[in-house]
Amino acid sequence: MDHLLPAEILEADRAFAGALAACGDLDALLRLKGAYVGREGSHAARLMELLKAAPKEQKRDLGAAINGLKQQWEEGLKARQGELETAKKHLNALASNWDSSLPPPVPAHGALHPLNRLVDRLVEVFRPLGFHVEEGPEVETEAHNFDGLNIPEDHPAKASSDTFYLAAHPELLLRTHTSPVQVRTLLRVAPSLEQHGGIRFLAPGRVYRKDEIDPTHSPMFHQVEGMLVGHDIGMQHLKGTLEYALRALFGPHTEIRLRPSYFPFVEPGCEVDVSCPLCDAKGCRVCKGSGWVEILGAGLLHPNVLRYAGIDPAEWSGWAFGMGVERMAMMLSQTPDLRLFFENDQRFLKAMGGLD
Amino acid sequence: MWIERKALAAEIPAAAALDTRQLCELLAALGFPVDGVASREGADVLDVDITANRGDAMSHRGMAREVAAKLQQPLAPLAPAPLAEGAPRVEVRLESPACPLYATALLSLGAGGTPPEPQALLRALESSPKGLPAVDASNELLHRYGHPTHAFDADRIQGAVTVRWAKGGETLVTLDGVTRTLTPQDLVIADETGPIALAGVMGGDGTKVTGATRRVLLESAWFDPKTVRATARRHSLHTDASHRFGRGADPAMATVARDLLVERLQAWAGASLEGAWTAGSLPAPAGSVSLPEALLSRVAGEPLQLGEAAEALRRLGCRVEVRPEALAVQPPSWRHDLTIPEDLAEEVLRLRGYEAIQSVLPPLEGPPQPLAPGYLQRQALARRLAHLGFHQTVTYGFISPEADAAYAAPDNAPGGRTLVNPLGQEYSVLRGTLLSSLRAAAEQNLRQGAREIRLFEVAPTYTSGPGGPVECFTLGLVWGGTLGGEDYLSPARRVQEADLSGIALDLGLASAPEVRSLGEGLFGFELPVSALPPAGARIIPAFRPFSRFPAVERDLSLLVELGQSYETLASAMRAALPQDLLQDLRCVDVFRHKSLPAGSQAWLMRLRFQADRTLVGSEVDGWMASALAAAESLGAKLRA
Repeated sequence: MDHLLPAEILEADRAFAGALAACGDLDALLRLKGAYVGREGSHAARLMELLKAAPKEQKRDLGAAINGLKQQWEEGLKARQGELETAKKHLNALASNWDSSLPPPVPAHGALHPLNRLVDRLVEVFRPLGFHVEEGPEVETEAHNFDGLNIPEDHPAKASSDTFYLAAHPELLLRTHTSPVQVRTLLRVAPSLEQHGGIRFLAPGRVYRKDEIDPTHSPMFHQVEGMLVGHDIGMQHLKGTLEYALRALFGPHTEIRLRPSYFPFVEPGCEVDVSCPLCDAKGCRVCKGSGWVEILGAGLLHPNVLRYAGIDPAEWSGWAFGMGVERMAMMLSQTPDLRLFFENDQRFLKAMGGLD
Repeated sequence: MWIERKALAAEIPAAAALDTRQLCELLAALGFPVDGVASREGADVLDVDITANRGDAMSHRGMAREVAAKLQQPLAPLAPAPLAEGAPRVEVRLESPACPLYATALLSLGAGGTPPEPQALLRALESSPKGLPAVDASNELLHRYGHPTHAFDADRIQGAVTVRWAKGGETLVTLDGVTRTLTPQDLVIADETGPIALAGVMGGDGTKVTGATRRVLLESAWFDPKTVRATARRHSLHTDASHRFGRGADPAMATVARDLLVERLQAWAGASLEGAWTAGSLPAPAGSVSLPEALLSRVAGEPLQLGEAAEALRRLGCRVEVRPEALAVQPPSWRHDLTIPEDLAEEVLRLRGYEAIQSVLPPLEGPPQPLAPGYLQRQALARRLAHLGFHQTVTYGFISPEADAAYAAPDNAPGGRTLVNPLGQEYSVLRGTLLSSLRAAAEQNLRQGAREIRLFEVAPTYTSGPGGPVECFTLGLVWGGTLGGEDYLSPARRVQEADLSGIALDLGLASAPEVRSLGEGLFGFELPVSALPPAGARIIPAFRPFSRFPAVERDLSLLVELGQSYETLASAMRAALPQDLLQDLRCVDVFRHKSLPAGSQAWLMRLRFQADRTLVGSEVDGWMASALAAAESLGAKLRA
């Protein structure tokens, strides 16, 4: 009768015993069952189609062959199922008397680190405004970290009590902010600035300052720097961009406030406050009742910063801002201790970082 | 800096009308945020944050100038009757350009102490009064007017007073009782016996005013800010005086402060003036600064009238000349920070209030740039691993030399990556490996009772190079503990080395990296991110045809020696099979049991064939025979 059956069915039959034996669990068995005797798309279903289409005189023999084969498969499956069920009696009980209130097995999830997650979010927020990401090394030269940023020769930040230096390379240090990425990027793009129509980017990264580790200090932390250079850029553009970005981040009703401040690399300089995102500016512990939270420092680029990079401040102007990622993360999450971000306890990471 | 409300109102009477909260808001809007408010001696005292460029604001008078300019209200007059100067009673020689001006006076003290009112003010400002009028008056003046002065016990000074550079090795016992060894970069006040004060920083112990002092020599000078900063830093001696001189005192204030000090000593202690005189002269003022209308409007973001700007700058004490399309501005003697047009534009905006700045999105002048492939690759990698159940860590970039040596490449000498001034030995080397940091985090998690550890980090590691450490973004991954067993369907088992190889292959590596055993059931690997396939640039990968004919799967159970290399055997079997039809060959089960012949194990090999036609059983039988023969040639046997 075999001659009536197509080759692939015969092959399937030959492979059946091996496949059946290889079934290690009921799931695999169910899949096998589906493949051989399932209602649709199975070998058996295909045979039933053949039977329908067969000439009348073959139907009897073919029918018998098919039934024999099916019966053989079904018996095999049933026997194997019995074996598996006996072997996993406990499992079988659960599977056949499914209590839907039993917690289903959930795939193990990991998590992005909350600091990375926040940086990712900031990049997303600035992307629609045409900002891309620039990066630079953590080991920097004094020139990039200080001189190119209009920081005076005798600035206290340069002292070895504040900044880490390398023993074998006295001119190298661990960058104390992400601002050297500004210097590097401006130096790189200066020759083609006109062609590109200026530049705008974010520079996220790790920075180092010589602070002892305590609940609010860490010798390593993260910053995100933002910079824009163009024609006729003024304070209104800084305010407009930050208002857009901080509303995208905290919600459409967010207000921002600029206050005069001083950083050597900007002029005018300012601190930027945001209406407290935790209490809707009603006043809470985080904003100390004021309704405002200080979120970043910013300003128009000091002409010396542009000049250092070979950019004519009469032709070009721009702004920059810098924010502390940990500070913002702590504020938003009300995490009480900065050290939690560097302890990497999986429970903290799962709860704070999660996945999108 | 502490600002007492009553003392502030003494300088700007209009400020008395503001309550403390309003005053705090006003100061913040001017760029002087108030960090806190305390109540002392019956008055509110504000802790005002003053940026390093505003030495002029570090006093009640300085703060009052700002408030007056903002409120457009007058300051209280500051008009001591100028002293008639006469011939020097003690010769004063100025030998360094770092001190161009030195005003002084000699007084005999009478009876009387510091009155209660200035004592209360000093206490409110957290500066304890000494009960010595010369000392307390000098202190009070510093807080009120910002100009540091000093009083020497005149009878303990020998001969002429010289302001000069110290001689190397000279020593001075400062008021705090510490013996300081001086360098030629330190500016000192000296008499004929040697230094008697560190200029602008601290007086000397040998000439200090005490209860026994009968005559005082006053000093009210101007010292170069850089010199004072350097000396203060060199000797770790940060005082109220060095803080102010170091940020730039007002040279025009030197004689005024001297006169005010004399006035106080006469009033408080019945002192009689023996003489007042000044050595040197005011340093030449910096030239005027031009503020072009175009620059002002560009910074402000809207057209501003030069007349209005001139008015604002005048309120700050500038002398302003309005010219066509620009202002010529001569900043006052106390505003040495106003040197470029942008500084002046900032002052105009500051007085106008930053809240008046409009909010405008900058126009996009050129095309936006895409995100860099390297950045996208790392972002995608982190997300992928998080979805695979791993937790991203952030650990410090510096570790201990021992932790570094445990996993860093042996040819990556730590010397080139060592910090000269680390926080401690355990943070002294820029790491050549992520595995030590990840292992430490993993162990910490184990101690906290975690059953399974799945951690990864994407961060730079450093390789010593001739020009300094070379940074390379690295993926480090640690996995260990017990896998599964947390629900009723998956049995518990230990994480194995092979699990990590699987992850590495899943990330797109061609072959598994070296998986290292880190102890405590932990395994890890690390590799440069650049070794992983880049983030896909294609939107949809190119189509690869696949067969619609059914695949044939066959199992082969082999008995092999325990020492048999799987890869050798599998390669031999693959080589014996038609490459275009063999879709997969893998070991799906390893069985080791005492029921097997000694020294052997069983491998269940699963082979999968597929073609663009229906395969016939007999041809598959043939291939299986070839595969078995290949295995047998390496000593394997078909398991019965």
